[in-house]
Amino acid sequence: MPAVDMPAAPFGYHGAYLRIDVSNGRVDRVPIAEEVLRQYLGGVGLGTWLLLKEGAATTAPLAPAAPIAFVFSPLVGSPLTTSAKFAVVSKSPLTNRINDSLASSGFAIAGKRCGCDAIVLVGRAAELSTLIVDDGRVRLESAENLRGLACGAAESALKARLEPGYAVASIGPAGERAVRYATISHDGRHAGRGGSGAVLGSKNVKALAVRGTQRSDWAQPRELAAFSKALSARSFGPATAKYRELGTASNLLTFNRLGVLPTRNFQSGTFEAAPTISPEEIRQTHSKTRASCVACTIGCEHIYSIGKEEEKEDEKGVRLEYENLFALGPLCGVGDADAVLRSSRLCDDVGIDTISAGGTIAFAMECVERGWLDEPWLSFGSGDAVLKAIDLIARREGIGDLLADGSRRAAQVIGHDSIAFAPQVKGLEIPGYEPRGLQTMALGFAVGGRGADHNRSGAYEVDFSERVDRKHATSDAVQYAIQTEDKSALMDSLIICKFLRGVFEDFYGEAADMLRLVTGWDASAEELRETARRIVGAKREFNLLAGWTPEEDTLPDRFLETALDGDEDAVLSRERLNALVGEYRRQRGWSTID
Amino acid sequence: MGSAMKVEFLGIPRERAGVAELELDVDTLGQLLAALEGRFPSLGMLVDSGRLHSSILASLNGDTFVSDPRTRLSKSDCVLILSADAGG
Repeated sequence: MPAVDMPAAPFGYHGAYLRIDVSNGRVDRVPIAEEVLRQYLGGVGLGTWLLLKEGAATTAPLAPAAPIAFVFSPLVGSPLTTSAKFAVVSKSPLTNRINDSLASSGFAIAGKRCGCDAIVLVGRAAELSTLIVDDGRVRLESAENLRGLACGAAESALKARLEPGYAVASIGPAGERAVRYATISHDGRHAGRGGSGAVLGSKNVKALAVRGTQRSDWAQPRELAAFSKALSARSFGPATAKYRELGTASNLLTFNRLGVLPTRNFQSGTFEAAPTISPEEIRQTHSKTRASCVACTIGCEHIYSIGKEEEKEDEKGVRLEYENLFALGPLCGVGDADAVLRSSRLCDDVGIDTISAGGTIAFAMECVERGWLDEPWLSFGSGDAVLKAIDLIARREGIGDLLADGSRRAAQVIGHDSIAFAPQVKGLEIPGYEPRGLQTMALGFAVGGRGADHNRSGAYEVDFSERVDRKHATSDAVQYAIQTEDKSALMDSLIICKFLRGVFEDFYGEAADMLRLVTGWDASAEELRETARRIVGAKREFNLLAGWTPEEDTLPDRFLETALDGDEDAVLSRERLNALVGEYRRQRGWSTID
Repeated sequence: MGSAMKVEFLGIPRERAGVAELELDVDTLGQLLAALEGRFPSLGMLVDSGRLHSSILASLNGDTFVSDPRTRLSKSDCVLILSADAGG
């Protein structure tokens, strides 16, 4: 495959994407107009535009023709803290809707230095392969020797074999077997939700290795350096203390106290063993280290040993975030910290999304409890059962083959109206926020373009505020839910880490400053508000083309027909949710039936 | 006449205060925060001049969130002081 030349491009960009057909090795450098870059920026926004351009919405997500885009952003490579991030955008095999997932660190920088703003893969390689992009030169190599390797092991093996300077993103065995919530992993982090790992696996691509020398130029480098320095200084302040000192896992005790910690497949909002698996408790007995992504000053990663300090199983440790803690702990009724840590590590190794894994396993546990699944070992509270289920899912063996398709498809097979408590929206499992006690978040889940999601709608922030009554949402909540969705769309397209959001006093104004210093565009806060709305609208357009229907914007019956156990005040009627969704569409300017 | 109510700390406020809970005899949220400032210098920038930093929230009984220092508190209230952002 020949090297590609660089086009003239705006500051911060290369002005083109690499389109690689892994079926035949064809590589095209496709220019991207400056107007498009300004309208969609990068990351999720540009990725959605690319997918629309490639016709992904009407293509089956695991078909060879389905594109998957690795998208960088204008800020990648700049000195701005938390900017080393990339988006993976494709049609989700779990939801058949738009899927965008983010990951961080050196892959973003190395990929952009290949001289492109995105790498789009189509086709299907003849054998399991590694795609190597070396400064814009592209080649495929057999990855048969990596088959079955865990994500991290595959990454290490490739880096050991290749010349220095490569960054690697890899799937695990779950992606090879098209588990519908398989991830793509880089440096221990995952583009986690929605099954992008299955899409890459369907192309017979085990890993991408990227390196390059082509740096972007910045429009105002001195001013950008000064801005970045000041932003980094602010990032050490109280707004990020939680992430730095305790990590997101500290949500556990707070959510438990507020009665919104999903437990035993959302049958309760409190978990009796929450204190024993909280980071505040685990750190008393387990060794802990901290880490951060490349180019990040926050350092939110808290890595715990498996086993207590004096008897830890190895030196590797496990990253513990709220979502893997909730999903593999309370949601499955597991109150053993080491069991949760082992399950988290196994998900990381095989390459599956912890939220969908925990949600699907918890759903299966409830089906077993009701006598609808004959798997007596799969019971709430058993850490060993969770581990066994994860292993079976990754292998697609036994009950694991059914659970590898997610809770919605599993419910359709199991029947008995189990879909009523399959914890998903549009097929994507619900993260650790009990919707009945967080009703603005419930709206965010219902209307989420990629399904139930806390990263594309930060509506929980509204529930944790004076602006609404979190257990009795009214139409007043809708504008705030829209604001958080728009803000997320912009952050995910620029791309900067959401853990930085509390640092900004005027987010849109400061985002415009960043973009102006990087690109030279005279961007304003109002322009970026419009950009955010455009990106949300583009995702909507994708879903409409993919077959979205209004009935999808809802929650499972469990949340709409029963009060939260132990909190009779936490009730979300179908009528109330429908009214919120209707008001959301009205304020968005979207008719109910487009 | 003041009233003693329970104060619970979660997240970073618990880290800084070094306790999970205590009781205080105050009438308003402003008085409560002033008392915390005096008692826990380690809270530092989290509580300043009777106001909570934007990264910290106060909740009455886990149900409603409050910030107005004039908010009246009753003996039966439990005030939660907790970290604001979620995510993860």
